Amino acid sequence: MLSVLLSPVVSRAEDASLEYAVKATFLYKLGPFVTWPAHAFETPTGPVNLCVVGRDSFGATLDQAVAGQVIGTRSIAVWRLAAVDRGRACHILYVGTNDPRLAAEVLDAVGGTPTLTVTDGIRDARAKGVVNFVIVASRVRFEIDDHAAAQGGLEISSKVLSLAVAVRPRS
Amino acid sequence: MPTRIFPPSSRFWRVAPRLAAATAVVLIAAAIAAAFFIERAYTDQKQREVSVSAGILASTVTAALVFDDVSAAREYVEALAANPEILSAAVYDETGALFASYARTSDSRPPATAGLALIAVGGDRVAVSVPVRHEGKVIGTVNLLSTIEPLASRLPRYALILLLTLMAAAVVAVLGAAQSALAHVNEELRERARQLQDQIVEREKAEDALRQIQKMETIGQLTGGVAHDFNNLLTIIIGNLDRLERRIDAKADAAELKKVAKFARIGADRAATLTKSLLAFSRRQPLDPKPLDANKLVSNMSDLLRRTLGEHITVQMVGGAGLWRTQADPNQLENAILNLAVNARDAMPEGGRLTIETANAYFDPHHAAQAEVEPGQYIVIAVTDTGGGMTKEVAAQAFEPFFTTKDTSHGTGLGLSQVYGFVKQSGGHVQIYTELGQGTTVKIYLPRLTAEPEAEEVETAPDSVEGRHETILLVEDDPGVRENSAMMLQELGYRVIGASTGAETLQTLERNRQVALLFTDVGLPGSMNGRQLADEVRRRRPELPVLFTTGYARNAIVHDGRLDPGVHLVTKPFSYADLSTALRNLLEARADRTAEARKP
Repeated sequence: MLSVLLSPVVSRAEDASLEYAVKATFLYKLGPFVTWPAHAFETPTGPVNLCVVGRDSFGATLDQAVAGQVIGTRSIAVWRLAAVDRGRACHILYVGTNDPRLAAEVLDAVGGTPTLTVTDGIRDARAKGVVNFVIVASRVRFEIDDHAAAQGGLEISSKVLSLAVAVRPRS
Repeated sequence: MPTRIFPPSSRFWRVAPRLAAATAVVLIAAAIAAAFFIERAYTDQKQREVSVSAGILASTVTAALVFDDVSAAREYVEALAANPEILSAAVYDETGALFASYARTSDSRPPATAGLALIAVGGDRVAVSVPVRHEGKVIGTVNLLSTIEPLASRLPRYALILLLTLMAAAVVAVLGAAQSALAHVNEELRERARQLQDQIVEREKAEDALRQIQKMETIGQLTGGVAHDFNNLLTIIIGNLDRLERRIDAKADAAELKKVAKFARIGADRAATLTKSLLAFSRRQPLDPKPLDANKLVSNMSDLLRRTLGEHITVQMVGGAGLWRTQADPNQLENAILNLAVNARDAMPEGGRLTIETANAYFDPHHAAQAEVEPGQYIVIAVTDTGGGMTKEVAAQAFEPFFTTKDTSHGTGLGLSQVYGFVKQSGGHVQIYTELGQGTTVKIYLPRLTAEPEAEEVETAPDSVEGRHETILLVEDDPGVRENSAMMLQELGYRVIGASTGAETLQTLERNRQVALLFTDVGLPGSMNGRQLADEVRRRRPELPVLFTTGYARNAIVHDGRLDPGVHLVTKPFSYADLSTALRNLLEARADRTAEARKP
């Protein structure tokens, strides 16, 4: 009972901020299940860059969620970007748009780089990031494109893959 | 030496029963220890298995806990339901609240908050609790409750082990007991073997003593019988010789003297017959076997038999057709048949019929072994009477010397033993068939003569039996016999030179070239017997004829109970007629050979 109460249940009737609180935690919680290639980081102890591009629906929630959190030995740095900056290595990139065209543009911009792209509620398969948040039975779930992950040199743990509502396999 | 039934290692076999008992105890103890060990190992194994399952669940459920995915967590938990031993599985979050769970039965439902014990075993259950770690932090707990096989169902396995062990122990114990019993029995057996050995030795001693007694009895019976018969005969001889002297002193006339001398002579002849029978039984008589036709021999005897048996007995001869020839001493065979005929006559005091049949016969190996003869072809001479027959006991003893059912006036009891001795000595067999009141048949089996060795020697009667003053070298160690023989030779018209040993004979021979014949006893004292002496004499004077005489056969001139070829013998006691015929035959044969040799 308690777990049901504590679980981040989201319904239309409830506060949408709870949905984004859950998505904020998911963003950093995905980190431990992803392995980036060594060249993705400037230094061995450098932070994991968590970038938000487009609409920022998290606000302070994201900063609070990641405060004090680490991925392995790395701290998490949150960056809000007006546009995708290829020069700034984003390890996790949240694409804040419902527009598949816009989303696709962002994804094209970082294509081939070791970036865990996260789209939100995109239905067009061509515009989905490596991770795409969906709402299933009033709960935040995700789809994973392991094929795209592989193109960026990312390894995604099978533990997460098994939680995904849909997985596009590597090959 | 008594047999050793067991080798010296029997000490081992004495301690074997104790060893077996100890082995059985050790086996049982080992089995119990093994059961405890297996039980302990089983429980440990179960705990490890459940711990591993819990660890796997904890690992896989991490992401579900992280992303708060209860349905995924429940899927993982329920996946464990495939294992029937898992009673319940529960995942708690980091606050200890139940996140996802599965329970097979209501009583195995996991508690709402994380359990206290990491590992707990109670009865037939084992509970395991492991933390869920993520990024170095404990983010939850996994609890598993599993059954282990109930002791009740494990016990039969242990019972089986125990049963097998008990059986093995029982086998060992039984073997030990059997070994013990066997050792005991062996001890008894050894003791009995020792006793038996002692008894055998005792028995052998007793039997030796008994044999000695029987031997003495037999000798006593034999000598007693001989002495008795001889005394009777000597009484006749001495009495008549006394009478003869008295009549001579009284100047009785020649006819009366001759009559008394004849009585003495009858007694002496009977004594000679007696010794011949004795020798025949002892198979010491020198046989002179010749090829003969039994039919001819038997028919030649018919007159003699009719005279001997008297008129009230019918004699019937049935000669078998195509009868094979045999080889035997004809005189002894006639004697044997005569003895059987006399016995038959005595068995038929009221008169009856005597049948003498001849036939060919065959001994197969089985019957030959029973009769103690060589298997093969035989001729059989069967003498049958219609008299009173014999009882089995009498028939069994019939061949024993001096065994007689007749009173002393009738005979010596040596008749059948002569038959037995002669037939056996001739390589044959004799068998009695008799039934009380039905008569008796005695069958004489003699071996068939297969190869005629040489033409029958025709004894030509000499022209004259008187000597022609030839010189005879007489060798005899007994002075009385030597003097008697010398007197007989001189009366027969010969010159006589006497000698008592071989050495003396050879010297005498050197000095007297006129010696025409050597007449020697076979048994001589000193280093040279009669045969050796004759051989030595022939080496010096090859043409000199030799005549042997003997009281009974010696190996020197008789082999296998038969005279060696070329040996001429006159047996003691011999009469004037016996001696003169033998001498004349030899001397005239020599004269013929000399005449042949002198022919140009």
